[in-house]
Amino acid sequence: MSVSERDSAAPVHPAERRKKPRAVRFTAAWWAPAVGLSGLGLISAIELERTNAGREVFFNVQQPWIVYILLAALTGLLVYGFARHATLWMVGKPTPGLLREIPMRARNAVRLGLGQEKVRRDRYAGIMHLCIFSSIIVLTAVTAQVALEDDTPLSFLHGDYYLFFSFYGDLFGLIGMIGVGMALYRRYFDDFHRIRWDERVEDHIIIWGLGLILITGFGVEAARISVTELQGFILEDGTQLEAHPDWARWSFVSYVIAEALGILDLTQDQVLAGHTWMWWIHVILAFGWLGLLVFTRLDHMLFAPVNAFLLRTDAPGRLSKIEDIEEQEVFGVGQIQDFTWKQLFELDACVRCGRCTEVCPADLSGQPLSPMHLIQDLKAHLADVGPEVQRRGHVGGDVREVARQEMVGEVIRDETLWACRTCGACVQECPVMIEHVPTIVDMRRYLVMDEARVPATAQTALENMEMRGHPWRGTNLTRESWMEGLGEVPVFDGSQDYLYWVGCSGALVERNLPVTQAVFRLLRESGASFGVLGQEETCNGDPARRLGNEYLYQILAEQLVETFKARNVQRVITNCPHCFNTFRNEYPQFDGRFEVLHHTEFLEGALADGSLKPRHSLDSSVTYHDSCYLGRMNGVYDAPRQIIELLPGVDLTEMRRSRSKGLCCGAGGGNMWQEEVGERRVNHVRTEEAVGTGASEVVSNCPFCIQMFDDGVPAIQPEEEGRIRPFDIAELIERSVLGENGAGGNGAPAATA
Amino acid sequence: MHFVVCAKQIPDPETPPSAFRIDEANNEVIPAPGISPVLSQFDGMAAEAALRIVEAAGEGKITVISLGQESAQAAIKQVLAMGADEGILLEDDALQGGDSYTTARTLAAAIEKLGDVDAVFCGRQAADWDMGQVGLGLAELLGWPSAIIAKDVQIENGAMHVQRVLADGFETVALPLPAVVTISNEIGDPRYPKLQQIMRAARKTVNRWSAEDLGLDPSTVGDAGARLKLERLFIPELGGDVEIMDGESAEEQAQQLATTLREAKIL
Repeated sequence: MSVSERDSAAPVHPAERRKKPRAVRFTAAWWAPAVGLSGLGLISAIELERTNAGREVFFNVQQPWIVYILLAALTGLLVYGFARHATLWMVGKPTPGLLREIPMRARNAVRLGLGQEKVRRDRYAGIMHLCIFSSIIVLTAVTAQVALEDDTPLSFLHGDYYLFFSFYGDLFGLIGMIGVGMALYRRYFDDFHRIRWDERVEDHIIIWGLGLILITGFGVEAARISVTELQGFILEDGTQLEAHPDWARWSFVSYVIAEALGILDLTQDQVLAGHTWMWWIHVILAFGWLGLLVFTRLDHMLFAPVNAFLLRTDAPGRLSKIEDIEEQEVFGVGQIQDFTWKQLFELDACVRCGRCTEVCPADLSGQPLSPMHLIQDLKAHLADVGPEVQRRGHVGGDVREVARQEMVGEVIRDETLWACRTCGACVQECPVMIEHVPTIVDMRRYLVMDEARVPATAQTALENMEMRGHPWRGTNLTRESWMEGLGEVPVFDGSQDYLYWVGCSGALVERNLPVTQAVFRLLRESGASFGVLGQEETCNGDPARRLGNEYLYQILAEQLVETFKARNVQRVITNCPHCFNTFRNEYPQFDGRFEVLHHTEFLEGALADGSLKPRHSLDSSVTYHDSCYLGRMNGVYDAPRQIIELLPGVDLTEMRRSRSKGLCCGAGGGNMWQEEVGERRVNHVRTEEAVGTGASEVVSNCPFCIQMFDDGVPAIQPEEEGRIRPFDIAELIERSVLGENGAGGNGAPAATA
Repeated sequence: MHFVVCAKQIPDPETPPSAFRIDEANNEVIPAPGISPVLSQFDGMAAEAALRIVEAAGEGKITVISLGQESAQAAIKQVLAMGADEGILLEDDALQGGDSYTTARTLAAAIEKLGDVDAVFCGRQAADWDMGQVGLGLAELLGWPSAIIAKDVQIENGAMHVQRVLADGFETVALPLPAVVTISNEIGDPRYPKLQQIMRAARKTVNRWSAEDLGLDPSTVGDAGARLKLERLFIPELGGDVEIMDGESAEEQAQQLATTLREAKIL
């Protein structure tokens, strides 16, 4: 990111203003009982018990100082291990802009990292994680307090606080057990496929290890309670510890276990021997387990919050600009050291949870891309070549000769990179904030610009953009064909409020012409002041950028920014979410700052303020398909739904995957112009979901989505009778505002169907 | 080895039909507004054929020559970006217009001026007028052997081995060098240029040769030297008439239809 990329002037969308703080409520719902219980415990400890409660910390353990040797060893291991990790990350290029927007980054680290907001998108995993995470935090604090009590002059573990301490220690131990239990259930008893996509021995060790730490912890405590607080005990120095069952009850879990021990009828010596053994096992397990931080995916405990801090603070729909592209030696990322170090850091943060792959439209359709495996393959490649690259970087030598395997082409195959729709579902779901899409596009850049390895059909699209200023081959239409029969179409001359940007698909693809015309009629009906550019429109470059031809994109973008400035464009209404995203999020990189609206947003505003009146009842059941670039990339989820609500006689049935979980139509990322490789087509999968709602129309607002549905419907519903019909939301509004033949507007009498 | 690729810039064949206009008075095609001319597809394939040979051999030089107007520089740059080494634009008022013969004559003069050329690669035909004569005319004027409509070209032991596309298969012929070959689409799509090469091509200067540089008498080239005259250029008017058959019943209407078709000598 560069300074020019920052987009402080980005307009706030109405849809964003209405966002509800759902995540916050959920956090509160979870923490409230735990905090409340602890609070109750604290109050009752203070109010009900006036005691000199306390305990002899190492009453039954010889050489407890060995713990500090273990601690030193662990610290050394962690320092060494993370230094090794860090040397690998540092083979990457600098990551500009990380020190900007620190407050927002800190918020992300807290909200997404510690608050685990994305983890909770899978509710079960969210609860499990919060249990384990809160338990580890609290029990670490408990252990630290014990150490402070015993090995420093501080003394606070006595009296009321000691009882409260015993209580919350047991409470969070229990919470941790619940978390571990949930983890074990999912791993061994639930038919939960995605954690088995790349299951490793360490996964079992981590969870069993944690479970054993908690069990032995309770065991140690129970044994101590059994001997000291239930029976009374004489220390070696002759101190008499009196029995205090009333104290013991505060450690409510261990107390129950201690009472149960009583049934076994063990002698005090047996219990004491068990206590010693258990104590050492507990300590060694705990240190050993923390040592796993260096070797296993347990490192996500640290890397996830850090990666949340490193997460981009700008729009998710924006790809980075290659500055001074003509002076680059390598275009995009061809080898591991071409990534930024942040991109390499991300590889280490991956926990192989498979959430990305689970929602990937390519993987869902049996196509050769799994974001999780892509990240893991890159991680393995980094471990393979990173040390040598790092060494040569220091002592000299050709870094580009290190890899025995081509990273782009062999480690990550071409077809894997081409299968990406840039839909952002993986990025949206990733609980550790990995950004897969920019990483994939960086490698595409290398494929296209450095290697010139492009699928034939995508190559044609790129050549068309280069030669003809649009990506469509062999069009029979011109950019002004849609104007026929519409009367006078105003040309934008800088005096109007809005430029209505039709876009290549809106002007040159037959199916999309009625949408363009509908938007035009509705704009005219609403009384908005607008104009069009007609033949002067050219491709804004989005498909070129997503296909990896950043050079072509920059040429097209710079030209268009010039055109907009020359025409004094201030506000743009676009037909296409891709144009919308490019103008809104990416043109600021070229010093093009405009207020950009998608027609959905504009029309929603016009319906809400009454400048458009829905006169005709449509008597229709619809389902709404969120296009990726309006939804996930720009957060416009509510405007289209509010429109549907405002239209009389329209019923909305949501698909299972909707809003931020919406599934791509299959055309994004330049896949509109590629042959699909794999078992199924993405648009067939999505069409099936739309058909499954039983709706008679599937409504979207992206020319690509509509084409993909048009293509998918006959495949899913071979019978013409009763087929679901794909429409743009503007066509739906047109039918309600202007009537079926588009003539009922301008105050014409309502001819309700 | 030194190869020449002949490249022509043509109006974009993907121009929407509704944007296609002609000037009937001057027998000219009016360029569609906002639609840039492009490199004739077959010429891109000719460049691809030459590049494959140079790549396989690991050595060789490719010069791209275009006869045309200033704008044809773009076509030359495109072939340079694919990997050609030098570009020459034959541009001069005297060279404008003309027919297949004057084109061949001008190109032949340029190739003779280059001197050390081993083979010439042309597209099988230009995708605008589809005459398909320049390659053969060039061979005739140079006095070299030629093969047309090739799907594969190899150079081995000083000879060119060409697979020619036939209606029911292909034949392989061998030609001694120097030779002229015209390339057909069966060879495959031209490569997508690497960005490094695009930028290198952008920095290269394209040489310009005039009729005088080529030692050609202006009266023998361009419009003045053309032997083929275009008499009339027009867009045929397509129309239709609809006649509804009278008749009380379907049977009567069918009879009526049959009679009408017979009268029109269609049946």
